[in-house]
Amino acid sequence: MIEALSFEFVQNALIAGILVSFAAGIIGSLIVVNRMVFLAGGMAHASYGGIGMAVYFGFPIFLGASLFAVLSAIIIAILTMRQRNRMDTFIGLIWAVGMAIGVIFIDLTPGYNVDMMSYLFGSILAVSKENIYFMSVLLTTIIFVMIFWYRDILAVSYDSEYAKLRGVNVKFFYTLILILSALTVVVAIKVVGLILVIAMLTIPVYIAEKLSKSLFGMMLISGLVATLFTLAGLWFSYTYNLSSGASIILLSASGLGIFLLLNNFFKGNRI
Amino acid sequence: MSAINIENLSFAYDKELILDNINLEVKELDFLAIIGPNGGGKSTLLKLILGVEKFTQGKIEIFNNKSQKNISLIGYVPQNTNVNIDFPIKVIEVVLMGHFSNKKPLFGYAKEERACALGALKQVGMEEYTESKIGSLSGGQRQRVMIARALCSHTKILVLDEPTSSIDIKGQKEIYDLLKELNSYITIVVVSHDISVILEYANRVAHINKKLSFHDISNKKETFHTHGENQHFCEVELLQMLGADNCNTCKDKE
Repeated sequence: MIEALSFEFVQNALIAGILVSFAAGIIGSLIVVNRMVFLAGGMAHASYGGIGMAVYFGFPIFLGASLFAVLSAIIIAILTMRQRNRMDTFIGLIWAVGMAIGVIFIDLTPGYNVDMMSYLFGSILAVSKENIYFMSVLLTTIIFVMIFWYRDILAVSYDSEYAKLRGVNVKFFYTLILILSALTVVVAIKVVGLILVIAMLTIPVYIAEKLSKSLFGMMLISGLVATLFTLAGLWFSYTYNLSSGASIILLSASGLGIFLLLNNFFKGNRI
Repeated sequence: MSAINIENLSFAYDKELILDNINLEVKELDFLAIIGPNGGGKSTLLKLILGVEKFTQGKIEIFNNKSQKNISLIGYVPQNTNVNIDFPIKVIEVVLMGHFSNKKPLFGYAKEERACALGALKQVGMEEYTESKIGSLSGGQRQRVMIARALCSHTKILVLDEPTSSIDIKGQKEIYDLLKELNSYITIVVVSHDISVILEYANRVAHINKKLSFHDISNKKETFHTHGENQHFCEVELLQMLGADNCNTCKDKE
């Protein structure tokens, strides 16, 4: 394992893993407390449309996926503000349409696209320097936003009606949370793939929720837990020569199982 | 001085008239109970006072000023306080939310805001629970925290929507006793279904069913006897009390 650290792609994978884990921890917390898990899944799959178009037109895949995810976030934000009770229908629609667009564009692209699997199941070992820059900028932005608007984001997430009464611009912050979620989903796709992204955004958060009294604590703990799972998953996939994304998710799930058992045992808490 | 003054207020959703020419004056340190049937317009009136819904006809003044200007003097306690119980948030953070959002965005809260929030928690007797997670409290305790949140920003009027709908009987009485205490320096407006309970505490009653009829009951309570230890009016007495001399329908019959 130690000699593996001398390879550049392993170093990149580790850096990317840590950056994405923290982004997923912070934004995953917001996604869970705002009950937007299904929505995050929708954005992840919609971004496949962007991946397909990027492959076809030959522009950077991260850019295509980000554009599509952010676009779907904005559409969802507008639709939800108008008709909250039909939100799940809209999300399901965007989920499927984005995916279909991706599939069609990849069909249209000449040549055999073996690489597409890596977007479905992640390819952290193929992370490039540009990917890492993108991830660092995103994580810095997320931290910056959280520092500056923590109280507003907390108010909007906990009780948006009351926040509105107190003069908080609920629509702005709701859209901001959605856009940051969309971008986080895109970078998490690089690590675990769009099919597994939901697990990465929720498992560490679920553990953190049980251990923290405040949203800030929840973000910090889920960031740390996600990092632990990602690094352990990477080690596991390297040692046994298995897919990295699936290894990370299965280790996370096992970690969650062990945590819940211990939690039950020591505190007698129900799940 | 009048705390809230509403004149000729009408409001309609689409074409359906919800409130028809409402006139209501809430004096400073009044304890007003707003009662009426479901769909009668109680919640709509609250929303109009709080500025959530915009009205086109009539006017609402808060402390002799346009309602938008003095809106920060109103503290609001919403009906359902059981939402988001699992949310990881401390009691103090919930209360701090009550501050009007006029501070520059920056991490954390100003010292005076924190002091103010602690003061509000003391007012409702919840200072021991400052650092507790909101989900670990009982329904009654959570309602107190919501009242503290409403008191947080130098509130002069406290508006509560069905404050005891999700609390057991003992908790309900405690909440109303707390409101009575607060009433010595804060004007209170409560929307409620529990007529028998609310009338022990309120000094004025507004009945809303599209139109509003107003009853001053402050000097009528002594005339009714008490049942056992707790003061409690039975429904017949209530109807008599409300209908005694200022109910128009009764007058018509005579």
